[in-house]
Parts: sequence; C-alpha cells; structure tokens
Amino acid sequence: MDIKLASSRVLRDSLEPVGPLHLVSPGDVITSESGFMRGHGTFMEEGGGNLKASVAGMVDRVNKLISVKPLKTRYNGEVGDVIIGRIVEVQQRRWKVDTYSRLNSILMLSSVNLPGGELRRKTEEDERMMRDYLSEGDIISAEVQNVFSDGSLSLHTRSLKYGKLGQGTLVQVSPSLVKRRKTHFHNLPCGASLILGNNGYIWICPTINEDTDQTGGFVQNLEPVAGGDREVIARLRNCITALANHGIVLFDTVILYAYEASQKYSVKELLQSDIMKEIASLSRQRMEQEL
Amino acid sequence: MAGMELLSDQGFRIDGRKPCELRRIQSKLGVFGKPDGSAYVEQGNTKVLAAVYGPHEPRGNIVKLQDKVVINCQFSMATFSTGERKRRPRGDRKSMELSMHLQQTFEAAIMTELYPQSQIDIYVEVLQSDGGNYCTSVNAATLALIDAGIPMKDYVCACSASYLDDTPMVDINYLEESSGGTELIVSILPKSEQIVFLSSNSRLHEDCLNKVLDMAIKGCKDVYLCLDETVREHMTQVSASFSAD
Amino acid sequence: MAEILMSEAERTFILHGIQDNVRSDGRGCEDYRPIELETEVVSNANGSARVRLANSDVLVGVKGELGKPSLDTPEHGRLEFFVDCSANATPDFEGRGGEDLALEISSMLARAYDCPSCLDTQALGIIKREQCWVLYVDILILECGGNLFDAVAIAVKAALGNTKLPVITVRKDENDETELEISDDPYDCERIKILNAPCIVTLSKVGNQHIVDASLQEESCCLSRLMVAVTENGTITASKTSGSGSLNPESIIDMLESGKRAGTLLNKTLHAKLLEEEVKVGTKKKTMGFLT
Repeated sequence: MDIKLASSRVLRDSLEPVGPLHLVSPGDVITSESGFMRGHGTFMEEGGGNLKASVAGMVDRVNKLISVKPLKTRYNGEVGDVIIGRIVEVQQRRWKVDTYSRLNSILMLSSVNLPGGELRRKTEEDERMMRDYLSEGDIISAEVQNVFSDGSLSLHTRSLKYGKLGQGTLVQVSPSLVKRRKTHFHNLPCGASLILGNNGYIWICPTINEDTDQTGGFVQNLEPVAGGDREVIARLRNCITALANHGIVLFDTVILYAYEASQKYSVKELLQSDIMKEIASLSRQRMEQEL
Repeated sequence: MAGMELLSDQGFRIDGRKPCELRRIQSKLGVFGKPDGSAYVEQGNTKVLAAVYGPHEPRGNIVKLQDKVVINCQFSMATFSTGERKRRPRGDRKSMELSMHLQQTFEAAIMTELYPQSQIDIYVEVLQSDGGNYCTSVNAATLALIDAGIPMKDYVCACSASYLDDTPMVDINYLEESSGGTELIVSILPKSEQIVFLSSNSRLHEDCLNKVLDMAIKGCKDVYLCLDETVREHMTQVSASFSAD
Repeated sequence: MAEILMSEAERTFILHGIQDNVRSDGRGCEDYRPIELETEVVSNANGSARVRLANSDVLVGVKGELGKPSLDTPEHGRLEFFVDCSANATPDFEGRGGEDLALEISSMLARAYDCPSCLDTQALGIIKREQCWVLYVDILILECGGNLFDAVAIAVKAALGNTKLPVITVRKDENDETELEISDDPYDCERIKILNAPCIVTLSKVGNQHIVDASLQEESCCLSRLMVAVTENGTITASKTSGSGSLNPESIIDMLESGKRAGTLLNKTLHAKLLEEEVKVGTKKKTMGFLT
C-alpha cells in the first residue's frame, strides 16, 4: 500500500537541449522570404508575404519545404506505416478501425487474407462471415495501404505477419514517441514479443515463433500463458510506461535497457513514480553513451 | 460594500495592484494524460482547468460538417469554486451562454477547414472563482489547444477591464466586479490585434470607452507574453528529451 | 461507466493472469496502485483534498453552512454529498452524461457515513432543533482510471480531516433571544475527528478470484463487484453489489474478508499520511496543486 503526499512529489529532471532548437508557437512568423513551399503546421498570412506557424513545435526545413512538427498530436498516417488498431464497427464489406487518428481507419474485406492464405474473390458468404473473423473489440496489426482524400487511412493485412492479435497487453503512448524504422516487430531476448505501432499503440505478447505462429491471426491460442512469460510482459509494460511518461522515444534498444535497469526492483514496484524516473534517466544515459 | 475603497489615495487597488497591473499568471500544459490536450491556468485566485479532445469522429447526435470541423464547448464551474456554494455546476443560463461564447471565440481562431467531418471538444472547469472566469477560461483553452497540436491562426488571449473610481482598471477580481461598475471583456488575437469577442455590461460613458478598451487590449497582450513563455518552456523541456534519436 | 472495447483474447489474458496472481501490471490481487494525496488545494472551501490513484483524479471541497437539523436527529448536524463528473475526464460525461455514476457514488457515500460511530455529528449540532452545521461535501471527478469509488472515499476522508469550521458560541442577548457568535479568527477553529470515518474498497470478481483496485481494463472484464465501506478497526458500515453478474454466498464472504483486510490497511496508511501532512501544513507548505 503506497500513499505519497504531493509535497514529496518527484519532479521531472530539467534537461538541457542538445544544440539550438528553432521552436515556434502559433502566430509566430517563420520567415518572410518567398520561394518556400509550406508544409504541415504552417500557413500564409492573409495579405502579407509572411509564412506563419499554426502549431507549437519545431521547425523542420527540408530544402524548400518548411513544416512545423507539433510535439503531441493525433496520428497522421502515411503509406507503409505499421499500425495496431482496434475494430469499432463491422460494416458491409469493410471494418472501421480505431487507430488514434482524427477519423477512424478502414479495413476493406478485399484487403484481408482468408484462412490459410487463400487468394480469391470474396463471395457473399464471406461478407456474412466477416463478424466471425473480426468483430468489435478485436485488435489487429496492419499496414497503411492508402490515404483517402478526407484524411482517413485504408489498411491491409495482406501478409501472414499481420492480422488479428491474440493474448497480450496493449499500451497506449503518444504517436510522436514511435519513429519510423525498418522493422516494427521485435522478438526480445527476455522472452516476449513487441510490436511498435506508428500510431502509438504498442502490443506486448508472449514470443511469436516465426514458423508456427504466423497464421495471419486465424488461429487463436487461448491457453493460459506461463507465469514466467506473464511477469516478463508485465515488466515490459511498466518499463514502456515509465519511458513514455518521461518523453523518451521508443526503440527496441532503449526498451531493453530499461528492462535491464528494472531488474533490481519487483514488477509492482515499477509503478511508483520515483522508480519510474530512475529507470528513465538510466536508460537515457545509456542511450547517450552508446551513441 | 460601504467603506470599501476600490482605489486608495496612493493609487493602489484592494489587492495592492496598480490600475494597469495584471494579476499573477501561472500556467502549465499537459496536466492530464487522457485528453489530447490539457492545461491549467491560475490568474490571481481564479483557477481553471481546460481539456481538449480531438479531432475525432463525431459522436452522438452531432451533425458532421462537410467542409470544416465541429467545435463543441462546455463551460462548467465546480460547486465549491465560489464563496457561496453553487448548486448546479452547469446547465444554467450563464454557463450555457459562456459555453456558446467560447465556441464562437475558438471558431474564429482554429483553422477549421483542415479537419472536415471531425469534431473537437473543449471542456473548461473552473476550480476557484475570483473574477475573470471567462477570461481565464479562454486562456486555459488556448493553452490546451496548443498542447493538443490543433492548428490555430494565433493565440487567443482574453482580459477584462473596468472604469471604477474614475480610473480605468485592468483584470478585475470578484470584489471589483460586484462593486457595480461596468465590466468589459475582450478576447483578441494578439499578433494581428483582431478582436474576436467583446462584451460589456452596465453603463459606460462613451468618452471612457476608448481608454477602457485600450487598457483591456494591452492587458491581453501582456497575457499573451505570459502564456507564450509557458509554452516555450514546456516545448524546450519536451524537445530536449526527443533529441536522442 | 462506458465499457471500453476489448478483444476476447485480451480478456482471457487478464482472467488467467488474475488466477495466477500476476495482473497485467505485475500487482497481486490485493495490491493497490500508487496513491498521491494533497490537502488544502481550494481556498474557498472550509476543507479540501485532491487524490490521484494512478490515472484517477478526484478533487473534493467541503463547505460548512448553517442550516436546520433534520427532524429525526434534532441535535445532530448532517453531511450532504454531491458528485460532479467533469467532462474533462471523458467526453461521455458531457452535459448530463455522468449523472448515473454520480448518483451511485453519492448514495454509496451517504450510506457509508450514515453510521453513528463514523463521524461525530452531534458535535456539528449548535442549537437543538434550530441550527446546526451542514457540511456540503462536493466531489469533482477530473479523470477516470478505474476504481473511482475508492479514490473518492479516500479524498472525502482527507478533505473532512482537513476541514476547519469557525467556533460558534451560543449566547443569550438582552431580549433573552439566542444569538450565534461566529469567531472571526482564522486560527480559532474546530476540526472534525475522522478516526472512524470509513474508506470504500471495491472488490471486482473476475473468473473465480476477486481483485482490489481494478484498472479500467480489468473493470470491463468483471461482471460483478462488491463495494464495502470499512473503518480502521474493521467495522463494515455499508456494502453494495453492482454489475450484471451474480455472486455465490461463499464468494461474498471471501470478498468481505479481503475487503476488511485491504480496508484496515488503507485506513491506517491514510491516517499516518494525513498526520504527516498536518505537520507540514503547520510549517510553511508549498501547495503543489496542478502546477508542478
């Protein structure tokens, strides 16, 4: 039983920024020179030639394109991103998926694999069986296939590594903490698997065997998970929450450092804020050393 | 209020401020985890929490707009916020009116055309009330919107002003509000000095109008400086932890 | 409360975890998540407290007003509870959305504090049948992270302990009429004894086991729960089941025993922390509030 007083609250460390940061807030003039293309987070002032920022964040300049990346925002999908989503609605020939973006994403019936990896045209019977495969509340991993004109995403699970997810824990963090990398599926040496969704949803589950378990999610294993695996998953969950609370960008390396740093505490002790802070700063220091 | 001097002989107000001085502003972004954006603002003894959800799919009976985002505001006061206990936190005429004013104010500032068919919810909760509820709510909502990363043309800063004891005064507290003088509330976009919302009650001589309005606009610009400082400090802190890439 | 969506596999995972006594964040079945407590946060109220239980955030203000005692207890003061679910917590609470939950919480609190040994309401009486203190306990729910009843009860107990009521002397003036004199001195005040005030423990039944302090995900897996109001010496002042499932009599007895254990521990720890906070208030204490 742990009750703390607010007066003994642990404050976040004040960090020194590395290098000069060009930070702007809404209404600030970024530049008055012409010839720049405006990206996200900027707008042209009416009647003037100034390029102004519309969100608070860092200015990102790539050749002639200026955009402002806000610190915290809903997920803005791009083609090729790996995401984890939850089914919210079953409609005719498609599912509506919640991916923490401003509009629900769409998974078309034609974008999923049938049991066993068959590829054929979907018949009427398939339409009626949609709910048997994916119903409301199910979690899937998928890839962004297309972005519609209104901004909503079209997903597909046309590979056996995607599909409905089985037993495990979902952790929600801000999408800006998950950067785009080559692979988002990690089998950690400590005995669990991790899927880092670009939309900030992170899935932790018992180790996925490449050969046997990748069935596209059609075979659900509801057997009880072993106690040891369960503890590993719980520990990883607490480590990821600690890192996210301190704004550390999530990779498999930094998560492993946090996992190793947490070994001296029991899993439930990791819920306390002072221990979370310690783990976050140890992982950050180790990351900086390795760079 | 007999015997209460709003302005002393030396030119100090009841709480020791000069007529053109604002109350102390303290604020913080990102107070809660669940809303997309949240902020807490204290102006003197008035404390307000704001939370922003969105943009997200429209919920309930809200009608989707094809070309812009729907902005939904709710203004609510805690029952223990006022000196005399308030019976209903929201739903009474005053709160509904303030909710509508908030909606009008932010429709002018948020770039609504960027999010068609979506909805943004802005919820404001007054924890302690000592005058200037609407102004502090606008300031808190602006910070919450910035925290949520929702594009806006500019900050929206609000300030109140009055004409008491023959002097224009800025940022009036509860005692000054209830003394019977006029209360002029102004919200502006500070960079372009455009007025987004203006309201006044009670009588005000037109000769004094300019002075009081100017005082209120200057007050808004001072508020902007305080809010911007908080935003920059917050951004510096957060970006410092992102730099490890 | 709105049910959050979960897949069948997730529910199975949570269910098996509870059976193994390893919940999804590593806690055992009778462990609470970390709690943070602060008193004197609102200056307009006679007493206030703020409690953070993981993601749940509750702010309570207690205001004392003079009123008429109720007819069946003419010498006692009374407590009135009011719960407001702010839309900050979740958009579902907008407008009148949170009223059902608010009603449930306030009626549970009213029953928990109804017991005469909990709070000395006779000390709140001033003039028999005429005047008494009415304590309005206003609860504001700012964020929902599961297990609201427990968080609310802790905050209410802390706020009542923090309440300072001005001393009232009853005198008879020249015309032999009773007169109330309210002390103006801010330091001349009465405190309320909360030694026997109850805390609520919610036990959620998941599968064949029951857990204390359920998170939002665990709450959506549980079909029935039992809430008990327990005092420091183990007395149960109120209890209530809720949810759509049914409970075995044996499980209810087990849950009551767990509730008593968890409740007495919670009360003891809370009491120790409140005393520590009192000492700090005596010296110059910096209000943390929401700013840091």
